[in-house]
Amino acid sequence: MRAANYLVRRVVRGVLTLLTMIAVTFVLYFAIETQPPVGQYFPAVTHGTPPTAHQVALVRHVFYLDRSKIGLYLHYVSHLARGDFGRYSTIEDGRIVEGAIIPPYQQLRTTLSILIGGAVLVLLLSLPLGAISGSRVGSWADRGISFGALVLVCFHPMMLGLILRSAGGTVNWLPTSGYCTFLKHPAPQGLVVVGGTQPCGGPVAWATHLILPWLTFALLFLALYTRMIRASVAETVYEDFVRTARAKGASQARVLARHVLPSASLRVLTMVGMEIGTAIGVCIYIESAFNIFGLGRYAVEVLGGVGPSLDLPVTATVVVLITLIVVIGNLVVDLLYAVLDPRVGLQQGPQRTKSLVGGVF
Amino acid sequence: MRANEPSRPVGAWRSGWRRLRRDRRSFLSLLVVCAIVLLGVFGGAAVSQLVGHDGDTPFAFASSTNNRAVGPWTHVPAPAQTRLGEFGNLLPPPRGTKTTLFVLGSDGPLGRDELIRLLDGLRTSLEIAIGALLVALAISVPLGTLAGYFGGFVDAAVSQLTETIMAFPLLLFLLFANRYLIGDLRSVGWGSYVPEGAPAEAVLIGAFTAFYPTRLIRSHLFVLRNAEFVEAAHMVGASTWRILRQHLLPHLAPTLLVWGAVAIGTNILAEVGLSFLGVGVQVSTPTLGSQLSTVWGTIYNPQAYDGRLYTPWQTVFPMVTIVVTVVSLNRLSEAVRRALEPRVLR
Repeated sequence: MRAANYLVRRVVRGVLTLLTMIAVTFVLYFAIETQPPVGQYFPAVTHGTPPTAHQVALVRHVFYLDRSKIGLYLHYVSHLARGDFGRYSTIEDGRIVEGAIIPPYQQLRTTLSILIGGAVLVLLLSLPLGAISGSRVGSWADRGISFGALVLVCFHPMMLGLILRSAGGTVNWLPTSGYCTFLKHPAPQGLVVVGGTQPCGGPVAWATHLILPWLTFALLFLALYTRMIRASVAETVYEDFVRTARAKGASQARVLARHVLPSASLRVLTMVGMEIGTAIGVCIYIESAFNIFGLGRYAVEVLGGVGPSLDLPVTATVVVLITLIVVIGNLVVDLLYAVLDPRVGLQQGPQRTKSLVGGVF
Repeated sequence: MRANEPSRPVGAWRSGWRRLRRDRRSFLSLLVVCAIVLLGVFGGAAVSQLVGHDGDTPFAFASSTNNRAVGPWTHVPAPAQTRLGEFGNLLPPPRGTKTTLFVLGSDGPLGRDELIRLLDGLRTSLEIAIGALLVALAISVPLGTLAGYFGGFVDAAVSQLTETIMAFPLLLFLLFANRYLIGDLRSVGWGSYVPEGAPAEAVLIGAFTAFYPTRLIRSHLFVLRNAEFVEAAHMVGASTWRILRQHLLPHLAPTLLVWGAVAIGTNILAEVGLSFLGVGVQVSTPTLGSQLSTVWGTIYNPQAYDGRLYTPWQTVFPMVTIVVTVVSLNRLSEAVRRALEPRVLR
């Protein structure tokens, strides 16, 4: 019963976050003049003809300026609840052209592949490194690992990506650009374009194309997490329960793996939740370095401006998808926390902290 | 000092400075950071005085016939006029033409001095990073004080909103702000010392990194406002403003100093990232980030590294400069922490 209650509260909080983010998007959209002048759609206006009332009305309609803002928000949210991301609209040849928005699911899958694979790699590498470093503070291994972490923290993900890409390009073992879907595409039937690039697919191609992006992601966050696990382990090894475990004859490896690391991992978990947003920001650069078209680059093109103007439902779609990743990620972190630490678990959830790397990567 | 003179109490700052000076590693990190700042401020001008050319002049002979940039330590012919052959090809300079030294080679097909551009870029990057730090402080000190000292409903609302927004990738907000909010600020600059676009970029980075120090100040004041010395000041009738200025804000200085040194480093990294996103100074202006993005292309226009046009040095030199600068700033931050907050010795 308590567990269900906890779950419901977390989900409600996630939904509230989502609603807040959509509201922020709407407020920004209407507070800032993002729509282009009428002349952009009616060339005659740029040449001196005053715009007719009809033309002005058309542009106002396309940019939702003739609607009640709160009504529009409720309308959008109610459609979103039914899984409808709305319609984009623009003016072509003096007429309004509309179409259903297809959310960038393929890009979402791409970015999730980078994120999840990278996170697993961070975990696999940082736990042993942090444990070695923290259990023998001051040793050569500790100094080496700490120095490596210090230097890695001072790299930008783009720089790491470029280094790995040129290294991979020189050695020529791994593909250094592009993305392959996890599932194989059906074989092309009928006409095959000579010299055209075949879409690649399959788990092996997927993994080999992602090794370098994963490594880039891992190296960046590895430094942070190794440092934190080190500090946490260095404190924990003097605790009574660790001494007791040693006294019972447990080996060093067993003490670390069974007694020290679980309690150290709690701290790591609290940071992961806050850093999912940063990780998506990092993905933008990784996608850029390895020439992958994922959600990050999609978002950059929508928000940063390749198109002539901002389309409200398209922008909201990007915001909704990214917020969903953050919210669901946080939910998973909260649940894991409750499982790992039954003391605090269902009462309050993890204290939120954020490492300094969460600047503007 | 005579032996019978009573010893005077030493202030926190002075004793901190003594500790910093006595610890060899800490003092070294301070020296390195000072050297980097001096190099950034005076280096470009000094080198161009020494070698006799500046960082914006292209040299036709600083790239080979295939347009490949020359490598480090090359004497490049610098004739007053270049002569073209009948096919528009560059003719070799006449014998005895004066040469000029390219210490780190040239920066690409255009043939500009890499070392001078690197030093100028270091200066611009430092300007942006320090400017962003000041902007972040200007936003976070009042906001954090308001939330931390006065608390209440405003604090709860603001914290909830910032926490929600911080969970979202801030980079995307920044891109949005760059597209719609910065406007005329983008063309602000002062001569060659503060290039056009640098103030705008500093404001952008500063505004979006202000969240962290705001939370830092807020949580600090949350503890301090119930301290005994604040209560005592209240009792003797000090005004709120006086308590804040005289008693509380000085307590924040060490924390902000420690944070500031790291923040300058992360701001430099942020600038590197933004130049890959096409935000900030013009492409022709050297910064540490634009040095890299001219070689590798931006996110909208990614280009594979072209070994025919660039030597690997053009990637290595800026990257080493960035990493050395940021590492030494991080070390300085650690050193300041050790010196000013000796209780949290690590």
